[in-house]
This record gives sequence, structure tokens and C-alpha cells, in this order.
Amino acid sequence: MIAQTRAELLKIRSTRTTIGLVLGMLAIVVLFALLSGLLTKTRDLTSKEDQLGLLGVGSFAGVFSALAGIMLVTSEYRYGTIRPTFLFTPRRSRVLAAKLGAGLLAGLGFGVVGGLLGFGIGYAALSGRGVAFALSGGDVALLALGTIAGGAIWGAIGVGLGAIVRNQVGSIIALLAWGFVVENLLFAFVYSAGRFGPVHAQDALTGLTTKHLLPAAGGGAVLIAWAAALAVAGTALTARRDVN
Amino acid sequence: MPVAFVRRSGRARRCAGKRGASDVVDFGRVGGEHVAPAVLSDSLTKRFGKLTAVDDLSFALEPGTITGFLGPNGAGKTTTLRMLLGLAAPTSGRALVFGEPYAALERPALRVGSVLEATDFHPGRSGRDHLRMLARAVDLTDERVEEVLRLVELDAAASRRVKGYSLGMRQRLGLASALLGDPELLVLDEPANGLDPEGIRWLRDFLRAFAAERRTVLISSHVLAEVAQTVDQVLIINRGKLVIESSLEQLTARVGGSVRIRSPDPARLRDALKREGIDATSSNDHALLVHGTTSDRVGDIAFAAGVPVHELVAEGSSLEEVFLDLTSESQP
Repeated sequence: MIAQTRAELLKIRSTRTTIGLVLGMLAIVVLFALLSGLLTKTRDLTSKEDQLGLLGVGSFAGVFSALAGIMLVTSEYRYGTIRPTFLFTPRRSRVLAAKLGAGLLAGLGFGVVGGLLGFGIGYAALSGRGVAFALSGGDVALLALGTIAGGAIWGAIGVGLGAIVRNQVGSIIALLAWGFVVENLLFAFVYSAGRFGPVHAQDALTGLTTKHLLPAAGGGAVLIAWAAALAVAGTALTARRDVN
Repeated sequence: MPVAFVRRSGRARRCAGKRGASDVVDFGRVGGEHVAPAVLSDSLTKRFGKLTAVDDLSFALEPGTITGFLGPNGAGKTTTLRMLLGLAAPTSGRALVFGEPYAALERPALRVGSVLEATDFHPGRSGRDHLRMLARAVDLTDERVEEVLRLVELDAAASRRVKGYSLGMRQRLGLASALLGDPELLVLDEPANGLDPEGIRWLRDFLRAFAAERRTVLISSHVLAEVAQTVDQVLIINRGKLVIESSLEQLTARVGGSVRIRSPDPARLRDALKREGIDATSSNDHALLVHGTTSDRVGDIAFAAGVPVHELVAEGSSLEEVFLDLTSESQP
């Protein structure tokens, strides 16, 4: 297992895909942090909820963690390296477990970097504009934990999704369509179901208390359940399917 | 070029008896002891919907042989190899490597080296990193990676991204990945594809040296000529069925090879051949066509008789014709 995980971590490091995702994440986090930090009216930045929204921009890291997880599986199918990978480790569940581990680690890194950057820019904007800081130490701790843990779990979600939808473009479209469209519609119209979606579970995990969201612990549990369900389904399908 | 196999220490691990008597198939005795064939295909069948890609295919390969696995494109060669290597599940039948299913072998990459596609690389990854990531998965060292890079003469290009490699370099990188674990069995799918004549010769010398150490090679090809000088025996399949399993000599004998010899004195040459019991037929422009012998023998006879020879050709395409005959005669 350790051997396979080391192999997976080398796969992440040895192409430019990861650096591209990191740069993409940095650009998005900086852009959104600056836009909301500078353009939002001061009266819309005073409440705890407002400030969590601003300082938690780093949650976007989750999208990039999931993309990294998807790449970890789907590039192997796209470029055919899945064949040597399985020839060297024919127990496919072992390969998937290693990819889940590597996805968690990579996602953790995205969460740390994205979280720190978003918080730093948001905090600078608040103090620069002289807005009183409304978050307690506990709020900040939960935000940090939620962003970092969330980033890691989204990495695993990406691996599971990639193992189910092996086509790279299909997998990415599935992630973005669900995350930015389907789940938001679901939450808007049937919040009792939508709040159990992974994106809203992530929001809850970072301490957001928007109406109808789950409590933070519940959000964490739901997010982990999503990752586990996708991982189990992806592993089962990978074991059953032939490799061309 | 010199071909040297750098052996890692600790080969003893291979002998450590991991074989449960129950899952070893009994194939008779070789030299008094039980030896499972390196490769065994036992009534192997694979169906994709209505299409039967591999149809009740049975064969066994003894250790130390180089076998050409031949057939036209779409004959089922690659599907068979995928089943042997655990990438695809048989519909029925068994595919065993050293007496066990590939996936049941402990660290199979240390016993079986295989390349299924010459293009299985991430274009943005360097050749060295490709090998390193595979080496890590089976706890091989980075020094071993450098050894195989030197072995396939890719050490100078190893830091470059694979997208800048020629097809020949990709073939050698694939071979390097197969050799990482210092295997006893090499399984290569169309390894000569895209190689220039120099590359084909390099591969041939390489495989010969490999097999000389009692190791086993199975290479597939859709062109007999590509492997004819390399292999000891051939398995020819067509439409998923075994057409013939024979040594290369037997196959050549089936051809009844013809030799074309041209001399300014054909009558004297014909007499000389006749004295050796060889019949020759006249061709145009003073040439004779001789069947059932080799160009070496015909040349020797002419030399001994003191007949000048202006041209001596072993008609090489005939082996290919036999192959084409064999693979077309089983059409429905």
C-alpha cells in the first residue's frame, strides 16, 4: 500500500497538470477574494455570516482538489498508463486505495493553500476598510478545519468520481454540472434534499449557518459519506471492468 | 550492440515456495521435476456480445522459448494477451502464468515483463519519471531505473518529456518498463511496430540474449517476416481460433522453400545438382529454380562443381505466403 501511494504521489508531481490546477486555484481564490473584499458594500460585511462568506473563499480549493482527484484516475485511462499501472499492481483495489490516499493528501494541500490565501486577503480587506472583525476564535478554527478537511475529502470525491466516469471530459463535466448547477437548483427548490449534497455539506462544514444548511458536524459526516460512497462504487466498478 | 542483463540481487525470493500445490496445474514432468508452463491458455474464450474474439484457445509455452504469436489484425491476439495479464476477464477457460492467474502472483512485475501498447505514457511526463513511478509500486530502486534506461539506450533522453520521443524510443521505453523487475517471461504486443530496420535488429539481438538465459518470450505480430528471424516457434491464430502451433522449422518445411540461382552455364549446374539428388527447373535468362533445399546448400554445390554463379536468391516471401494461406483458409 505504501509503495503504491508513493507511486501515486510521484504521478501527481511528475506532470504539469498539478501545477496548472494550483495556479488555477490561486487565480480563482485571489480574484473572488479581491472582488468581494473590495466591491461589497461595508454594511454587507459586518455580520458573522457575511464575513464567513468573504474569508471562506478558500473553499474553492475543493473544486480544484476534486479536479486533481479526477485527473489522478482519468489521465491513466486517457493516456493508457492504466495498463502498466495494473500490470505492476494487479490488485486494482490497492491501486484505488493508493489513489484515494494520494487524492486526500493533494486535496489537503489545496485546502491549506487556498484557505490561507482566501483568509489572508479577506482579512486584509476587512482591516483595510476598518470593518470590525465579527468572528470568534472558534469560528475561525472551524473555518480553517472545514476548508482544509473539505479540500482533502473533495480530493477523494474526485478519485471516486473518476473511477466511475473514466472519461476525463465526462468526469469533469459531471463534477462541474453537479457542483455549480444541479445541486444549487436542488437546494433552491427542495432544500431538505439539497442540503445533503456535497457542496452544501462543505458549506456547513466551514461553519456557514445559512438557512436550511446542516450543522457543521452533520455537514462533515455527509461529505465523508459522499466520498466513501463514490470510493466504494468506483473501486467495485474498477475491479469488474476490463481494461482495453 | 552488447546486450547485458544486469541482475539484481536476491533472486532467491522467486524460488521461495509460494506455490500452493492446489493451484498449480499439473502439466507433466520436465527433467524429472514438475514445471508449470510459463504460459498456459486453457480453452480460453472471450465474447463481446455476439462477437467471439477468442474462441476456445489452448496452448502452453515452455520456459526458454521465443514464441511468435501471429495472426492478422483483429485475430484476437491482443485480447488473448490482455486475459493472460489479468487486464480482461475470460468469458470461460483459464489463462495462467507460471501456473497461476496473473493477478494471483505475488508482485507479478518481478516475474513477468509486459508491454501491450507502445503508447502507454503520459506525454508530459519524462521517460525517467514513468519508470520511477512504476518502480515505486513494486519497491524497486531508482538505481534499477537507471540500469534499464542504459540497457535500452535511453539514458540520454530520460529527462525529456515522452511527447518528444520517436515511436522507436517509445517502444524502447516500454521495453524498459517491462525489464524493470528482471522478469523470467516477456510478453510483448507488436514490439516491432514503428521500428526501423536497425531497431528491429536491435530488438532481435536483445530477445535472443534474453531467451539464451532460459527465459521465455512471447511476442505478437501481424507480420511473420518481422519475427521469423527471432522466434523458435509460432502460434498462428485467426478469428480467435488456433490455426497452427509449430516450430519455425516445421513451418519453413511446409513452405518447401525455393532457391533461384543464375549461372552462365546452367546445364553444368543442373547436372551438379542432380548428382546431389536435387531437381532443378529452368527459369528464363539462364536461371534455375530449386525446391526443397536451402540457398546455402545450392551455393556450396555450385562452388564444389566450379560453376560460376551470378545470382543466388532464397525466395523469402514464401513463408509469408504460407502464413497468408493459413490465416485465410479458415474463412467461413
